[in-house]
Amino acid sequence: MHRLLAVARAYSLGMITYRTRTLVSLLSVLIAVVPVYFVAGALQPLAAKAIAAESTEYFTYLVVGSVASFVIAEAVSAIPSLISSYITSGTLEQLLTTPIRWPSLIGGLSVYGFLWVAVRALVLLVAAWVWATSTIAWPRMLEFTLIMAMLGVAYLGVGLIAGALVLSVRSSLFVPQAAATLSALLGTVYFPVGVLPPAFAPFAAFLPITPALRAARQILLRDQHLGVVLPDVLQLAGWAVAGAILGGSCFHLALQHARRTGTLTQY
Amino acid sequence: MSDTAAAVVMRGVTKSFRADRGLWRRLRGTPGTEPRPVLDAVSLTVARGEIFGLVGANGAGKTTLLKILSTVLLPEQGSVMIDGLDAIAHAAQVRTRLAVVPADERALFWRVSATENVRLFASMYGLRGVARDDAVRRALVLVGLGEVGEQLVGSFSTGMRQRTLIARALVTRPPILILDEPTRSLDPVTARELRRFIRDVLCNELGATILLATHSTEEAMQLCDRAALLVRGRVVATDTLKNLQAAVARARVRVRVDAAHEARARTLLHLPVGVISAASDGMVTLDATLPNLVHAPVVLEALVRAGVRVVEFAPVALTLADLLESVSTSLAQPDEALRHA
Repeated sequence: MHRLLAVARAYSLGMITYRTRTLVSLLSVLIAVVPVYFVAGALQPLAAKAIAAESTEYFTYLVVGSVASFVIAEAVSAIPSLISSYITSGTLEQLLTTPIRWPSLIGGLSVYGFLWVAVRALVLLVAAWVWATSTIAWPRMLEFTLIMAMLGVAYLGVGLIAGALVLSVRSSLFVPQAAATLSALLGTVYFPVGVLPPAFAPFAAFLPITPALRAARQILLRDQHLGVVLPDVLQLAGWAVAGAILGGSCFHLALQHARRTGTLTQY
Repeated sequence: MSDTAAAVVMRGVTKSFRADRGLWRRLRGTPGTEPRPVLDAVSLTVARGEIFGLVGANGAGKTTLLKILSTVLLPEQGSVMIDGLDAIAHAAQVRTRLAVVPADERALFWRVSATENVRLFASMYGLRGVARDDAVRRALVLVGLGEVGEQLVGSFSTGMRQRTLIARALVTRPPILILDEPTRSLDPVTARELRRFIRDVLCNELGATILLATHSTEEAMQLCDRAALLVRGRVVATDTLKNLQAAVARARVRVRVDAAHEARARTLLHLPVGVISAASDGMVTLDATLPNLVHAPVVLEALVRAGVRVVEFAPVALTLADLLESVSTSLAQPDEALRHA
């Protein structure tokens, strides 16, 4: 943990020097919420029945879906992108000559990204709370955060697999993009499973984002407690464990492979 | 020197790399993707407290050798012992005993201060709290960056970044330091300062064992107690630079004589008429190659006895090109005298 925090501190101190980028990123969240509000308002009569189990308002339904999208985008793309850039600069190899173990290294490098996702998500939720006609159950925020954290861990497995591919073949083979796109289109970010063509429904049910969003919306938008959504939470927990084990194993094997083949750094 | 008393022992280390021709070509087994040997049965022993050089041209295998020593690359064959530990089986423990100064300063975190860069590495090696902060301050002062430690590394000159890399490696005072071409991108004055620092502070004061890869014979001669000469992945000679020069390189001398005695001097130096000479102020300069530097006094005496007016008779500094050329010639005619290891 001590080493993980040391990496997180050094990486975060570097990232916060990008002041303009930080500001633009926050502003873009605020700006993007405006068209979402009006489009959601226009579609409200059509969507009301389909989303009724999870939300009374399509706008807040989309906002919670967007928060999950932030988490997934960070989880699947941050690691391969960092590994790729650190291979080029020689930083990865340098860090691995020290006594740090790779889980601490990857954990440390991921902390800032997820904290930044949390800040953007909070800005989005506050904007939604100001504009929405329905309420957001702020006292349930801890349970909502727990679900988003489990979703992050589940998709971190995909990020680790993509990172393993970068270590082995210097390309993530579009795994992050495929995971993020499939989850957004099939995983109830924009619409519930019920409106999908029947052929796609089993795929949607198979994605970790589906139970995560179902549980998250009921908790935050319907003010339900964790016990009510326990089956979804358990399913998500299973995904998180599977993602961590599968992704961790792939990354570990790829690291060994890279040590044999010399792909830890760019020649 | 026994293997257990040595800081580093490598035996029969072999490594090859596959030429990167892209994933699909590799999967299809396209010709040209066969592994290319980079190290061929490399063996060497480095004593504790020694500055040991790895000398060779670009692509000789120096960096690969250092990567294997620093546990980020696994050899295909052979054994590596660092400070008495098997570097392949106990890589995690070995990493606590060595620190690496890479050739590329991009490995630093450029958008944080030198202090934060060094602090990160101190934490990696398990230092905490006041002990860590003191160690960071000491390391930065030691490399002459005490006053500018809070500045961003991105605002530093190349020499200052190189010093930051060294401070980062020194912060936990590891017994073994691995330096990969430490003066590669430095100006001559900064390079000379850094070499002095490596010799006086790192080796003499701190007592570290230093492995240094370089393609500069000048650097190796100034710094190294001994060096291994790498040619196409093979260690072709290991000895002091002076002995290497004497053993593998025929000595070159520059002789400046009276122009009137040029013909006599050429005869004695076995120089054909066509060999280029430089003439000025009634003097002529001749570059001659002797079988060995030990012959130099005899040759000089012969010139003087023959009545040649000699105003300069000096050995010409050995360049890496000379050394490698001599070794290549020697390899064509194998000579056991080359192998001093």
